[in-house]
Amino acid sequence: MGSAFDTFRKLGPAAFVLKAIIFVIAADVLLLAFILLRRTYRKWYFANRDARMLAIRLRWEALVSGEIPYVAWRSKTSERQLVETMVLDAYEVANPEESARLLKFMRASGLVEKCILEARQHKGWRRHRALVALARTRAPEGIRALAEGLRDRDSETRLAALRGLGQMACPEAAKEILNWVDDAGLVVPALPLQSALVQSCAERPQVLLPHLQHADKTVREVLGRVLAEVATPSIGPELLRFADDELPELRAAAARGLCYVNASAAVTVLSELAKDAVWFVRLRAIVGLGELCHPTAAPFLLHGLTDSNRLVRLRAAEGLVDFKTELLPIFEKVVALKDQYGLHAFLTALENAGLQAGLIARIKAGTGIEKEILLQVVQTMKLPSENYPRQENILVKAASQS
Amino acid sequence: MNHFLDWANHAVFYYYLVSNLAYLTMLVIAFRTSAAHLRHLESVRFDWIKSSPMVPPVTLLVPAHNEAQFICTAVRNLLELDYPELEVIVINDGSTDKTLQMMQKEFSLRLVRAVYVPQIMSAPVRGLYRSDSDTRLLVVDKEPAGSKADAVNAGLNAATSPYVCVVDGDSVLERDALLRIMIPVLADPNRVIAAGGIVRVLNGAEIEAGRIRRVRLARKSIEVIQVVEYLRAFLIGREAWARGNMLMIVSGAFGVFRTDLVRAVGGYRPSAIGEDFDLVARLHRHSLEKGADYCIEFVPDPVCWTEVPSDLRSLARQRARWQKGLLDVLWPNKDMLFRPRYGRIGWLALPYLWLFELLAPVIEVAGFATVLLAAGFGALSWPFFLQFVLFGYGFATVISIGSVLQEELTYKRYNDWQDVARLVSYCFLEHFPYRQLHMIWRLQGIWQYLRGDMVWRPLKRQGQEPVGADKADSSPVTAS
Repeated sequence: MGSAFDTFRKLGPAAFVLKAIIFVIAADVLLLAFILLRRTYRKWYFANRDARMLAIRLRWEALVSGEIPYVAWRSKTSERQLVETMVLDAYEVANPEESARLLKFMRASGLVEKCILEARQHKGWRRHRALVALARTRAPEGIRALAEGLRDRDSETRLAALRGLGQMACPEAAKEILNWVDDAGLVVPALPLQSALVQSCAERPQVLLPHLQHADKTVREVLGRVLAEVATPSIGPELLRFADDELPELRAAAARGLCYVNASAAVTVLSELAKDAVWFVRLRAIVGLGELCHPTAAPFLLHGLTDSNRLVRLRAAEGLVDFKTELLPIFEKVVALKDQYGLHAFLTALENAGLQAGLIARIKAGTGIEKEILLQVVQTMKLPSENYPRQENILVKAASQS
Repeated sequence: MNHFLDWANHAVFYYYLVSNLAYLTMLVIAFRTSAAHLRHLESVRFDWIKSSPMVPPVTLLVPAHNEAQFICTAVRNLLELDYPELEVIVINDGSTDKTLQMMQKEFSLRLVRAVYVPQIMSAPVRGLYRSDSDTRLLVVDKEPAGSKADAVNAGLNAATSPYVCVVDGDSVLERDALLRIMIPVLADPNRVIAAGGIVRVLNGAEIEAGRIRRVRLARKSIEVIQVVEYLRAFLIGREAWARGNMLMIVSGAFGVFRTDLVRAVGGYRPSAIGEDFDLVARLHRHSLEKGADYCIEFVPDPVCWTEVPSDLRSLARQRARWQKGLLDVLWPNKDMLFRPRYGRIGWLALPYLWLFELLAPVIEVAGFATVLLAAGFGALSWPFFLQFVLFGYGFATVISIGSVLQEELTYKRYNDWQDVARLVSYCFLEHFPYRQLHMIWRLQGIWQYLRGDMVWRPLKRQGQEPVGADKADSSPVTAS
């Protein structure tokens, strides 16, 4: 009697088929077994984890207050990870009082120090994770370690450190970012850098000013955009310096920030910037004029309605619509401009603000021959065909008034 | 003759060998990329991204044609997406049912005369409606033009955000899908010009108020096989191609694009059969011709659920259409092949699509023919033939199982182990007779294209909420 192998060999090509089928079935079974085992293990793991978390939650107060000695959980890796996760989650949604308590606990138990150590010592994705955890603690002593992360060779790590510093939202973090940008230049994409700087400079935008003076062109553009976002009345006068800067981003930043300055002074500068050759500078200036909502700004907003750029026209229209009590005279001036695009932008802004009915009511309440014409303009969105008085001198008048 | 047949059989064998080795390489790359992506996600805090002051606005473009039954639920869900700067533009593409009226009632739409600049050609717009209940919603009511591309173009003209995300009105997006798909864009907005998310099969899932309540595997074999195909296409194909910055398709059901670039290439081509593939090919061409440093990303975790055909007839139509779409894009772009100017797209991605996607059914049929001829002439080596069949079967099964395994190890959407067991089983079963049928449908597609038959034949849908009756047909399975 021959062995099973002999039988196999005698089968010839059919043996190969048989072997292949057996192999395929075995692979199927092994795969299913792997998936089944993995699922079973995970089920057990998560059930166990949930049970331990529940146990920690039950003695949470004692844990946070230090009643339970830190060594009781700190020396066990899995326990420590759970506590860290839970405390960071709780910290993110805590009120200021609770935040202070949790931060005190994290410092006293050594969790902050551990995060700092890991952020400094780990490499690769472990360092990303450590940097994120450190940033979540928002502990100022972690800023230095986060700043070191900015100098990592890996771009992902640099981004994690940058975002972390942004989350710190304090001038110290901003200084670290700015010093790094001074040294390294723009080695991360501009958007995350801007975001981080906006968050960290919001409290004290002045930290940006020295760097704006000596940074290179690319960095200045980015910092200019940040400045535009964080400008406050406290740096109003500083912004005036940038109104005639060679970089359009800086001029735009000045335009954006100038709405915080004294209105009468701002209107003069903004009206000049509203004539800039670069469209986004004009846009910022028009937005600034709109935000001022000052009567002297209205003529320049009217001029903005005739701008060649659609966005500038729309923003000018939105600014004009904010003069709610003056809508009728403004509308008359818009019609008098005889600019179809400007008229369209104004009526669109009016509709978006839900003020169209109010304007119609005011026109109807008015007197004079122009009443019917204006009503027709509102309804048809088309300029009147007859010679409606064109106010070419509106801007001249406005300039003299301002 | 015998010598020729022998040579032909060997050629087909080597063709399959190269094809499968290419897929095996993709599988390895995909495993590594997925692992890296999961590690990357550990260091991304979504609430940080959401609270970031510089998050660019995104306009969701939702073409809708005769979707009165579910459009309100779909729009409500889109408005609830977890993204800080959102605008939703629904394009009512000449619906003959009450799609517009339903939305008017539900969202208090009012006719506005907003500035609409038809920068990209589309059928005439009848009117624009802004919602009073949620000002982020704009509805563009336009004349029908018979193509999704035309509807999207109309929406592009009305979009005001630097990024647009095209979403099928009858698909279900997960709540954080938009935020997740924007992660690579936010990390490097200058380089990333488009990003695609994963499209998964909705059939079988339990849905409540337009949201997935529980993910279950579909019951019909034909649907389960498509699940395997989608997993293979997205978790292996797209993941690997994107890794090499050679992604040629961002699914029409869910993808984010830079608005200025889409406008620069003239928007979607209304006559395109596979408009999503066509757009990405033109974006590659545009960027490479400009010498731009760019990339098109695939993000495997933002999920869009979509219904797939559940009967053979509809599936046949869909697959024939995809093949037509493939040819419709590859043929006009043939000048990109092997030109140094087009880099790895011209040297790798496009040749692969020509050889292993477009011509695959032709070569398969030729392979069958030579085998039959060889058998007829008595020149067929049966051991070789059996080995060849088993090799092909075994290799293809490994790839399919690899995609299921990757799903299991990474994103794990099918929680019921019975579902996974069924998925694995279909990795073995899909090769006969589905694969042969698929080959015939694809051949039909090529034939239809060559004889100029470009008629769009509607697919039969089950009509699961919120899936409408007339689904836009996005192609996910190229590079599968």
